[in-house]
Amino acid sequence: MRVGGDRALLIGVAATLLTLVAVFYYPVGSVLASAVSVGGRLTLSPLVSVLADPFYTGAFHSLVTAPATVPRGLARWAESGMPSVRLGLFGFTAYQALLSTLASVAVGLPGAYLLARFEFPGRRFVRSVTILPFVLPSIMVAVGFLAMFGRSGLLNDLLGVVGLGPVELTFTLELIVLAHAFYNAPLVTRLVTTAWESVDANRVETARTLGATPYRAFRDVTLPQILPALLTASVLTFVFTFMSFPLVLALGGLQLATVEVWLYARVQDLALTEAATLGALETALSLGLVYVYLRFEAMQISARGEGRGLARTPLVDGWRSLIDPRRLGLLAYGAVVLVLFVGPLASLVIESVTTPSGRLTLEYYAFLLSQQSSAAAGTTRPLPAIVNSLLFGAGALLLALPMGVVVSVVATRDGRGSRLAEALLTAPLAVSGIVLGLGMLRTLVFGTTVFGHRITLTGPVAIVAAHAVAGYPFVSRNVTPALSGVDDRLGEAARALGADRTAVLTDIELPLVAPALVAGAAFAFAISVGEFDSTVLLAEGLDSATMPVALERYIGNRSLGPNLGPATAMGTVLLAVTTVSFVVIDRVGGRWER
Amino acid sequence: MKRRAFLSRAGVGVTGLAALAGCMGDSSDPDGGTETTDSGGKTGTAGSSGGTLTVATYSSFTGEDTAGNWLKSAFESERSDVTVEFRTPDSGVNQYIQRKSQGAPIDADLFVGLNTGELVRVDQQLDDRLFAATSERIEGADSVKSSLRFDPNGRVIPYDTGYISLVYDEGAVDEPQTFDSLLEPAYEDGLIVQNAQQSDPGRAFLLWSIKQQGTDGYLDYWQRLVDNGVQILSDWEPAYQAYMNEEAPMVVSYSTDQVYYHGEDVDMSRHQIGFLNDQGYANPEGMAQFADAENPELAREFMSFVLSEEAQAEIAVRNVQFPAVEGVEPGGTFGKYALEPPEAVTFSYEELSGNVGGWIEEWARQIASN
Repeated sequence: MRVGGDRALLIGVAATLLTLVAVFYYPVGSVLASAVSVGGRLTLSPLVSVLADPFYTGAFHSLVTAPATVPRGLARWAESGMPSVRLGLFGFTAYQALLSTLASVAVGLPGAYLLARFEFPGRRFVRSVTILPFVLPSIMVAVGFLAMFGRSGLLNDLLGVVGLGPVELTFTLELIVLAHAFYNAPLVTRLVTTAWESVDANRVETARTLGATPYRAFRDVTLPQILPALLTASVLTFVFTFMSFPLVLALGGLQLATVEVWLYARVQDLALTEAATLGALETALSLGLVYVYLRFEAMQISARGEGRGLARTPLVDGWRSLIDPRRLGLLAYGAVVLVLFVGPLASLVIESVTTPSGRLTLEYYAFLLSQQSSAAAGTTRPLPAIVNSLLFGAGALLLALPMGVVVSVVATRDGRGSRLAEALLTAPLAVSGIVLGLGMLRTLVFGTTVFGHRITLTGPVAIVAAHAVAGYPFVSRNVTPALSGVDDRLGEAARALGADRTAVLTDIELPLVAPALVAGAAFAFAISVGEFDSTVLLAEGLDSATMPVALERYIGNRSLGPNLGPATAMGTVLLAVTTVSFVVIDRVGGRWER
Repeated sequence: MKRRAFLSRAGVGVTGLAALAGCMGDSSDPDGGTETTDSGGKTGTAGSSGGTLTVATYSSFTGEDTAGNWLKSAFESERSDVTVEFRTPDSGVNQYIQRKSQGAPIDADLFVGLNTGELVRVDQQLDDRLFAATSERIEGADSVKSSLRFDPNGRVIPYDTGYISLVYDEGAVDEPQTFDSLLEPAYEDGLIVQNAQQSDPGRAFLLWSIKQQGTDGYLDYWQRLVDNGVQILSDWEPAYQAYMNEEAPMVVSYSTDQVYYHGEDVDMSRHQIGFLNDQGYANPEGMAQFADAENPELAREFMSFVLSEEAQAEIAVRNVQFPAVEGVEPGGTFGKYALEPPEAVTFSYEELSGNVGGWIEEWARQIASN
């Protein structure tokens, strides 16, 4: 594809880049710069001091401190039977991210299979709500997890009934991995389902006609087409869980600290050089991963025709289907999903209508109403928070959709350096919320002096910008695979008939990839609604509080006694509002579907 | 529970007070000691300056039925030409340290809710002065209990204090008596504390343990606590929630716990206060006028209003903290349920200065590499 003469697209690329420079590269750069400069001079000493510190790099610190001894050390280690070595903070963080990724794939993949290949009542609804975990503030999820998996939680109650247990899960790595699966398995499900639904049925049928077994057809035709999405999801999960912070803090405490937990503590202590150095190393690692993945994805994608998707089989189809091992497996899977996903959310809803002593109550919802009608200064009112969340979400969506599509168009071009360009455009995924929030605060919010004028960006504008930056990579992650699957001949035919590149994109390609576009839109919206860290940093007044911010403030309100009642009530409202929003996005978007 | 809601009560107990009392009004003030922004002199409660007073504080100090909201209404009704506005940045005083160091406008007159450790951080991070020395010129400042005054340079005026203690379930464990007893098998997997890096009660508990075990012995003590199954959670809220979910029978909290948690359907046996070694760690909260305040005079008038007897009693009840001014007794439910430790301990500003950051980081490294 050539861009030649295509002004609109060029403008789109320029606008995307400009936005990114202003609200991402400049603020983040200002933080990371302090990792490589001391007193205005370039230096590697902050990096070296972190890499040489066994606390951070464990046994690997000798790679920096005494590289000459490494071969001898390795030999001695092998001789003594390869005992476990100290991993350091980075090593431990990578280890838990790896476990979390494996768990997320294990939980998410069967879900994609179920949603893509089977028809059952409520399938569309289930598919829509797979996005819900993205909007749930981690403190709420942590509370739900404790209520579900804690010492006196629901799981142990259930196990007790059948004479098993109790299981001690709280404050363990296992529970953190489970919680990470709660957040990221739906991502795996979502991305893989979208890819699986786009598999061309004609090619599968051709393979079968040529004598391939169903397994062979899956391996040779279907798998290559869903693998990029699975890898995307895995890389994203690894990056997210590598940067994991609030959940680790709430469910595992300091004993299971990750790099991000440590980075946050350094920020709190205003040890900004060390924090920036950790941020730089973390960013380099994740960015490297994203780049490696993008190269891989580019090799994987194969063009396909405009064909139809695979037909879904009914989940329940007569009595015979009840003894089908595949269906029995899915049934067992459903039970696991109920415990893992519905359990914590149900505990949240139940806590919002029961007192600590187990009595039914509506006083927490009455509390929300009283906050709404309160005239007191500094009261966080629920309704403006709901409205703000929806408005910011819509604003972020309006900004993130075009940005994401522009990035996808760049990604599907085969030009030199387009992988690198894509990596640069996808970089926000690899930067932790804390680094971005800190950078934005120090530059845009406090203001920066340009030509003698102090420029500040505060309030809703900054929040929408931050949310859009966080959300657009999800648009492009959804749209890119679909876009590259569109038959080039369609575009070429249109262009031969006189359409320019932009017209091809808007009139032909985008309608063809509508499901992916809608999925991306839902992601961008979900991320905006659930975003907390940068919102709270950027929203100084109550006027720009969102639902998660309101929820966090209600956690601090103890006027109703020793419980999370008010916060769980707000959490339930958050859950309801966002469920409705996603179902609406999905249904409205669905009208374009073939 | 908001990170800052419960905390911010550091302070000066019995040990530090003689030294501190001697420092009040000392001319060795590194800031230069004298306030230059306006004419000076004590400001009376019936002041004359009007306009908008911008108060930076933590978010749970404001809102329905809070101390902050009571102060706003009461001050505004006393002074018809005044409006009080709140700023509640989530990063607390760090927000203003960074603003100052970046040359950004401060946009507030007064900071409410500062403790000793935070003041040490302010002074360590900034060469320019963030707060003005005002204690000489605020009516009522001399009635603040001398044991609570923690700023040797007269900038921060305490307005209330809390005491860190254990809260325990007497149905599950015997009352823990000493720090050393927490290492016993009877208390295995029994204690939840907060992360001293970002939680005030957690920080106060760590400092208290350093007071007890010494700077040479505290890391070893904590290693043995970890071996006995202590859990270190991020902050007061998740820690207390885990305690309520019966994950452990003891949690680090405040000696005013029962003021919140009394009532007919509350099991008070789960809200017992344990004063280890018959002590509690005092954590006073203070207020200070920004040096760059647009309305410094009004800020000082508000500060002396906060120290008035009526305001002190209201703050104690609504913020669930002990008053800072001598002779104020809130009475009522507060008087009945708020417990004071037999002995209050704390580190002084001088003792924390130059040390607190290192103590906490070494502690955190020890825990995180377990």
